[in-house]
Amino acid sequence: MILVPLMRVLQITVLILGCMAAAAAGRAEAFGEGGQGRGQASPASVRPTPATAPQGFTREQIDSGRTRFAAQCGFCHGRDAAGGEGGTDLTRSALVGTDVQGDKIRPLLRSGRPDKGMPAFTLTDADVTAIVAFIHDQREQAANATGNRRTVDVADLQTGNADAGRRYFEGACGRCHSAAGDLKGIATRYQGLALLQRMLYPGSGGRGAGPAPKPPAVRVTLRDGQVVTGTLAYRDEFTISITDSSGWRRSWPASQVTYTVDDRLQAHVEQLGKYTDGDMHDVLAYLQTLK
Amino acid sequence: MMSWRTCRRLSRAFVVLVLAAPAAAQSIDPSALLKPAADSWLTYHGDYSGRHHSPLLQITPDNVGQLGLTWAFQTGQTQQIKATPIVANGVIYLTTPDNIWAVDARNGRQLWRYSYPMNDGFHIGHRGAAVYKDSVFLTTPDAHLIALDARDGTVKWNVVIADAKKGYWSTNAPLLIRNHLIVGVSGDFDNLPGILRSFDPDTGKAQWTFYSTPPPDTPGAVSGGATGGQMWMTGTYDPDLNLLFVGTGNPTPVLNGEVRPGDNRWTCSIVALNPDTGTLAWGFQASPHDTHDWDAAEVPVLVDAEFGGAQRKLLLQASRNGYYFVLDRTTGKNLLTTPFATTNWASGVNEAGQPTPNPAKEPSRDGRLVAPDEAGGTNYRSPSFDPATGLLLVSAHDAYGIYFFKKEHGRYGWAGADYGVYGRGELRALDYRTGQVRWRHDLHGGAGAAGVLTTASGVTFTGDSANSAIALRTSDGSTLWHSGIGRVGNSPITYELDGRQYVLVGGGTALYAFALPTR
Repeated sequence: MILVPLMRVLQITVLILGCMAAAAAGRAEAFGEGGQGRGQASPASVRPTPATAPQGFTREQIDSGRTRFAAQCGFCHGRDAAGGEGGTDLTRSALVGTDVQGDKIRPLLRSGRPDKGMPAFTLTDADVTAIVAFIHDQREQAANATGNRRTVDVADLQTGNADAGRRYFEGACGRCHSAAGDLKGIATRYQGLALLQRMLYPGSGGRGAGPAPKPPAVRVTLRDGQVVTGTLAYRDEFTISITDSSGWRRSWPASQVTYTVDDRLQAHVEQLGKYTDGDMHDVLAYLQTLK
Repeated sequence: MMSWRTCRRLSRAFVVLVLAAPAAAQSIDPSALLKPAADSWLTYHGDYSGRHHSPLLQITPDNVGQLGLTWAFQTGQTQQIKATPIVANGVIYLTTPDNIWAVDARNGRQLWRYSYPMNDGFHIGHRGAAVYKDSVFLTTPDAHLIALDARDGTVKWNVVIADAKKGYWSTNAPLLIRNHLIVGVSGDFDNLPGILRSFDPDTGKAQWTFYSTPPPDTPGAVSGGATGGQMWMTGTYDPDLNLLFVGTGNPTPVLNGEVRPGDNRWTCSIVALNPDTGTLAWGFQASPHDTHDWDAAEVPVLVDAEFGGAQRKLLLQASRNGYYFVLDRTTGKNLLTTPFATTNWASGVNEAGQPTPNPAKEPSRDGRLVAPDEAGGTNYRSPSFDPATGLLLVSAHDAYGIYFFKKEHGRYGWAGADYGVYGRGELRALDYRTGQVRWRHDLHGGAGAAGVLTTASGVTFTGDSANSAIALRTSDGSTLWHSGIGRVGNSPITYELDGRQYVLVGGGTALYAFALPTR
């Protein structure tokens, strides 16, 4: 009887450790979406790094890629590949950074990323090569550009007062967080804009802001009184879906069960309406001391 | 007894009638747009009023639960359908960037398809087509306007609306008013004057150009150095006043307000124009000196109704900046300004009914937490006005973003950086007289995705932000029906053919037609 809960605890522990490892690695992979609106770039606090290898595309391929990119990809990623409606900034993408002549981009184009809203593309080899050429060219240009890039640097965000931020934190955030506990070393894992975004609403900002937080716990009561628990996998007006402790996805019509979702992030949502800009910068200054 | 002359006249009239009949049945007379027939959806909004409301009664709150799929049309494209379909002569015209399809409105079969040649214009989305006589019109990502033969999709003519090399593109569903085809463009990434143009729908010859912001260095300009104010959404029209109403977009540079002091008229505004000349009758600026990308391009909804004790010609707009406005559309005078979504950017509302921007919420080097975010309190998806309940149904969005600007971002194009933090979508039913929210319906997602259709039977059709097309009771917002067709990205429409009412909804990359079961 006691074995099952113990195993669950172990599994959860493994999950948490996995999350922490990922967070500590500070993955800069393109996880999230750039936003809803036109022209919204993905987090730009990370400057593009030079590509790992020269790509060796011709000017003709790049020019032809510009047209194909605009038609096939610009919709989401912006016509300059620097992010657009819902799509990440490819000039700052870690995947593009490690791509050599399409070895990573090509399979991604073919398979898509349906979970992130990216469709699979049916394109000729020449078209794919041209698109790859254009992305790399845009990346190089972005890495070399100075001046009006849409960047937010760590130095830009140093206007807060850490003492005032600590006082605010203790009042507003202390119920769920502690400097010595869950937030220990947070400033080592995240800096600048990524830290600010994570502070305001974990999971916002996507790339650079680290992995999304663990999904909330859900408790579903079936009509016969049976209780099933797990983590939230999906929810809309008509369906509730959980991932149970053994990793299986389970769904019910929302009208046929009762359920509760322990959405701790709701506190972050409520806080958004309470922060002054001064409070926001003060709390950021305080979090920056938690190294 | 009938005289010979009368007889001859009658027979001539008969001949004319017989000859003209097939043409009259097929060719779309511009006057039909004044009172669209039940078997059609002739403009982006369905009619000129922008109410996105249908008088059809077959589908009701009592039977909508039986609604079933009649057909689905797959575009085979990678882009979500954002366009509102046009329906004329039993044919649906559906667009995505570079593409237009003619589809049989009875069974979803493709009649023809036209694909515009590959181009490097901006492929952000497409709103829809327009029809006139035997032509259908398509705008393109490289800001061309194309006239196609509505029967077979062959190109009649192709003209340039604006120079794509400078950064213009077009997603616009043109608006036809008599012999004027009115077309807008977009262009936020460059500092470009805001232009709206009229073309002769027969020949493609340019008729007039209205500048919401003039070309730089124009003497006497009221824009304060701003460019932008693009009119990328389809306007509405009052035939009695002979006024066209269009919302204008944000100023450029977008987030850098320092280099464009003052209100920056006529950006983020509603302008009333004479459709014959393009001259400005009046303007109302919803966001003076915008620095948050809050176009006032949302549909200006025209309603004739009681307000403040008198019957008035009203214009309603739920605007991207989070405020609901009621104007007298004869004069442009503001009658009501009140928020319908979360806002924190204005310090008050001035005597003219304009929210006053709080300078402390302008983008800054260290960032400002602003509501709404860039996507706005609402966006381009059509709201709907239901005359029976007096409700304006709006896909609303409570959201926060962080806005940055520093001198290094420069004075060109976006000139800043902003990031969405959190958002939540909700369908809101606003009392048109007060802006008070009478009911809300959770859309279960970050942003409102779909436009709204109401019908005279009291049913509201829209999409949630998750996975479904939904039908609600207009009086209270309760759910009556849903179908998990994927995320709805357009505004539902309806028409009746052969005695059967169809509801069209775009889900993902397919268009779905729903109707009641046939006996």
